[in-house]
Amino acid sequence: MEQALAQAGIHLEDAAGIVATGYGRMNSAYTDKQFSEISCHAKGIAHLLPNARTIIDIGGQDAKAIRLDDRGMVQQFAMNDKCAAGTGRFLEVMARVMETSLSELQEWDNKARTVAHVSSTCTVFAESEVISLLSAGTPKADIIAGVHKSVASKAGSLVLRIGLQEDVVMSGGVAQNRGVVKAMEAELKVPVQVAPNPQIVGALGAALFAYEAQMKKQK
Amino acid sequence: MSKMQSILEKLAINPVQAVEDYKKKTGKGAVGCIAPYTPEEIIHAAGMLPIGLWGGQVELNKVRAVLPAFACSIMQSIKELELSGSYDILTAVLCPSSCDTLKAIGQKWTRKDVPMIQFVHPHNRKLPAARTFLAKEYQHVRERLENVIGEPIPDEAIVQSIQVYNEHRAVMREFARAAGAHPDLIDPKTRHLVFKSAFFMRKEEHTALVRELTALLDEAPVKPWDGPKIILSGIMAEPDSILDVMKELHIAVVADDLAQESRQNRVDVPEDGTVMERLAEQWQNMYGCSLAYEHEKTRVPMLVDMVKKNQADAVVVAMMKFCDPEEFDYPMIKQTMEKENIPLLQVEIDQQMQSVEQFRTRMQSFVEMLRHE
Repeated sequence: MEQALAQAGIHLEDAAGIVATGYGRMNSAYTDKQFSEISCHAKGIAHLLPNARTIIDIGGQDAKAIRLDDRGMVQQFAMNDKCAAGTGRFLEVMARVMETSLSELQEWDNKARTVAHVSSTCTVFAESEVISLLSAGTPKADIIAGVHKSVASKAGSLVLRIGLQEDVVMSGGVAQNRGVVKAMEAELKVPVQVAPNPQIVGALGAALFAYEAQMKKQK
Repeated sequence: MSKMQSILEKLAINPVQAVEDYKKKTGKGAVGCIAPYTPEEIIHAAGMLPIGLWGGQVELNKVRAVLPAFACSIMQSIKELELSGSYDILTAVLCPSSCDTLKAIGQKWTRKDVPMIQFVHPHNRKLPAARTFLAKEYQHVRERLENVIGEPIPDEAIVQSIQVYNEHRAVMREFARAAGAHPDLIDPKTRHLVFKSAFFMRKEEHTALVRELTALLDEAPVKPWDGPKIILSGIMAEPDSILDVMKELHIAVVADDLAQESRQNRVDVPEDGTVMERLAEQWQNMYGCSLAYEHEKTRVPMLVDMVKKNQADAVVVAMMKFCDPEEFDYPMIKQTMEKENIPLLQVEIDQQMQSVEQFRTRMQSFVEMLRHE
């Protein structure tokens, strides 16, 4: 918290209201209120890209598809199960297996000539599949493109559950990986926009909730 | 202590203590009834204590050797408890064959001193032959039980027990209505525990306590509720920690369609026929349950009616992980709720769930979504 305040160049007393979101939201001692990350991503995206109707938010430990109405309100959502497949954690595991880093996955994807088949159902099985592909001499770039396709296929199934509506926007840390975004477009067969600073869209939404609460108070 | 609090304490759940106390008091034992439906009336008529076996939050170790990981958590934990000897205090166990995993449970029973009595509910329930078949199955259960306890179970005693059970069902339906009107007094977990306590008590005692509780609720003023009102549907809504989350989110369960709760009390045993035919006909008359096959799928319109009747805001399907019958029903429920414009949420149920944070995120997002409706 101190670090965040220092980066913003403000003091705790300067904040008129604080809203927490994300998995630690229940444990924050500073907050006035907390909202789920689904509501916060929706709020953030509706502010940044008002034409968005479908949000694909892939974070470190879960993936969500959120459908918005024309007021930017959540109409429906679907979340992955407890399994890590299709999340940022899945990409982390795959990056480790292929002795590369998360930030380099996108570059490798650009070099792919074809997309290797990687199972989208289980991180553990996918890991052994990747090792088998490596042993068989499949180029690393093709495997990484396959890994991205696997993430897109998992997130695509969430989108199908809520019903695809354009515009489609990606948020969350994984949206920074153009390889996944490209695979997502191929999966859904529609253009997929990336939110500006996708990793902090949830935080922006939380801030907007805090701002609105303050505005209400002042009325 | 308030009168209501005192009744709720009497309904507190302690299965082992309940069996020991009953044995001490009556000299008779307890018979386990594996979920979801068993002819408890026969056990009751034998003067024994029917105990509902619905699994629990236990660490799964031994069961890994006998059940695949994709068996539902109720069956996983029942098997774990059996293998670790927790059911050795029982005199016998009744096991229906309502799904594929239950069939396997019956075949893999290991406790030689606690006989397993398995029976089959016919799936083509409406045929006259189904009643004849099930009456024979129940007669077989009765005879096996008579052999175990070494005493006959007379028809008259079963008739009396049927009356006790029908009365209990009616009282539980009244409780569900009164609890739905008073979410300020009966939170989701308390509501669940009142239903669940029926599995560890003689039904006449449970009836008396719940009747008293319902009367107190009916006397209390109905207060406006500003949180979301939901209908819970599925096999069960456990572990209790998920109900705590609902309480924190100010959710009221105004009615339920859970196999562990209201489905138990949905249909009375009819009046006409021989005792075994009457018990069998109850199964023929059952409706709105994924485990009781019906071509018309009355569960779907029933849920819509429940929403309207109880002025609920939404339906929450507590989807037992790996439960095929429930999963088969879900697409139909989803399609209809969308058509009827009724918000619907599916949450995954796993009794061994240690962390409820993902559940909290889903539930909280849903509540936030409903507030904007």
